[in-house]
Amino acid sequence: MADGCLDYIAMTTLPRDQVRSMMGEVLAAQGKELPAEDAALLETIGFRSLDFSELALRVEDELDEELNFDAPGLRSIETVGDVLTFIDQLQQA
Amino acid sequence: MSDRLPAGADNRVVSRGYVGRWRDIEAAPDVPDAAAYLVRDNAQAARAVWQHVLEADRRETLVAAQSRIGAEQEQGFRESGLAVVRPPDIEPAVTERPADPGRIWLLTSGSTGRPKQVAHTLDSLTTVGTDQPARTWLCPYATGAYAWWQVVTLSIQVPGQDVVFVEPDQIDGWPALAAEHGVTAASGTPTFWRQAIFRAVDTLSTVPLQQVTLGGEPVDQAILDRLHEVYPDARISWIYASSEAGAAIAVHDGKAGFPAAWLDRETPGRPRLSVQDGELIIASAKAAEGMDAQIHTGDRAEIVDDRVLITGRIASDEINVGGSKASASGVRAVLLSHPGVAWAAVKGRRAPLVGNVVTAQVVLSGSGDLVTEAQLLQWCAARLPDYSVPRRLRVLPEIPIKESLKSDV
Repeated sequence: MADGCLDYIAMTTLPRDQVRSMMGEVLAAQGKELPAEDAALLETIGFRSLDFSELALRVEDELDEELNFDAPGLRSIETVGDVLTFIDQLQQA
Repeated sequence: MSDRLPAGADNRVVSRGYVGRWRDIEAAPDVPDAAAYLVRDNAQAARAVWQHVLEADRRETLVAAQSRIGAEQEQGFRESGLAVVRPPDIEPAVTERPADPGRIWLLTSGSTGRPKQVAHTLDSLTTVGTDQPARTWLCPYATGAYAWWQVVTLSIQVPGQDVVFVEPDQIDGWPALAAEHGVTAASGTPTFWRQAIFRAVDTLSTVPLQQVTLGGEPVDQAILDRLHEVYPDARISWIYASSEAGAAIAVHDGKAGFPAAWLDRETPGRPRLSVQDGELIIASAKAAEGMDAQIHTGDRAEIVDDRVLITGRIASDEINVGGSKASASGVRAVLLSHPGVAWAAVKGRRAPLVGNVVTAQVVLSGSGDLVTEAQLLQWCAARLPDYSVPRRLRVLPEIPIKESLKSDV
């Protein structure tokens, strides 16, 4: 298999750092900053449900494919790390 | 054949394929009395209309562009007792029945759901029968649509009302066509006008329009104001009409919406308008046959100060964002009120946690090149509740338009 094909396959999910960067963009549009720590509480930084939804759509647009929102089970999403993990699971589903 | 020609028989018809008076159009031979004309262009359509006008005492007619009719629908016509005419070819009906004299069938645009046939007559389609200033009308509407019939019946029934038809492939260049044939009045959807202003505002202002009419979609203040800038001396009107309810509202004061004083008013010869649970209700003598006395239009009506604004379809207007109800038309109105936005469409998009979020597409006006996505979102955030602010916003290079002259907004 050519390297280009391997690259293509690898591109079907976004790395955690890139999703974190996109999360920062969602907050920056509202004049807010994303802390560096994954343990930072969403409530503290003002990252709300709508922001999470927007982030998921940004990921969809970047991948150019729909995510299966129903696949991951319900869980508590309280920190920056929880968001990044959930988005990662959405991409794997 | 009718021995008396209609008052507009001497009016001029300009189309690709025929230029002349209505009265000089030759009838097609051997067409069965009950016929669906699937036409290639407006010359063929005008011929079908004139044949019906001359022989309304025995003819039943449907006129539609070939491009809008699929094989299944065509077969449905034949099974319902209509011969299918693709000039010069005629396919006979497969169900034999006598024609329903005077009947004209319209196909709904589909914006109200599944396309269907709506029953009219020349009389119910004629909403302007009184003398009017002499004008040459541009008719860019889809052949056989309700708005198309409005222009056609005006030209047939009222002296001095010439008509210039625009084929779908001529839409982009209509200002040149209008200038060539001396058009002084034009009727189109707000999307049609927005696209014209966006593409060729300089050319547009060289067409000496005395009458500018809008219909077929919600008409907002921004497009009325913009048209007034381009045509400061023209009368600018908007009309609320549908295949089902007929032409029910005509407003000429340059403002969006109609006066709230018109609600629940009984005026002989005028439709009765009311608002129930935010929906526009119409009772009209010009409605299609078989309609309820009170037609639930499905259009959202909001009373703001002393005006009733018609802002969009109820069924498609509501976007449920985590239990909060965002109004697509409300968001669109805010985007359109930005001076840098020429056109906007707003929809819901499925998203985790909240179910749906508001998304928007915009086309920037020539003067709005410097407007950024962030600035537009800030504009919205300052005027809308949080859940209504678009979460994804895409800038398109030009205004999308369908053959119906509408866009999915």
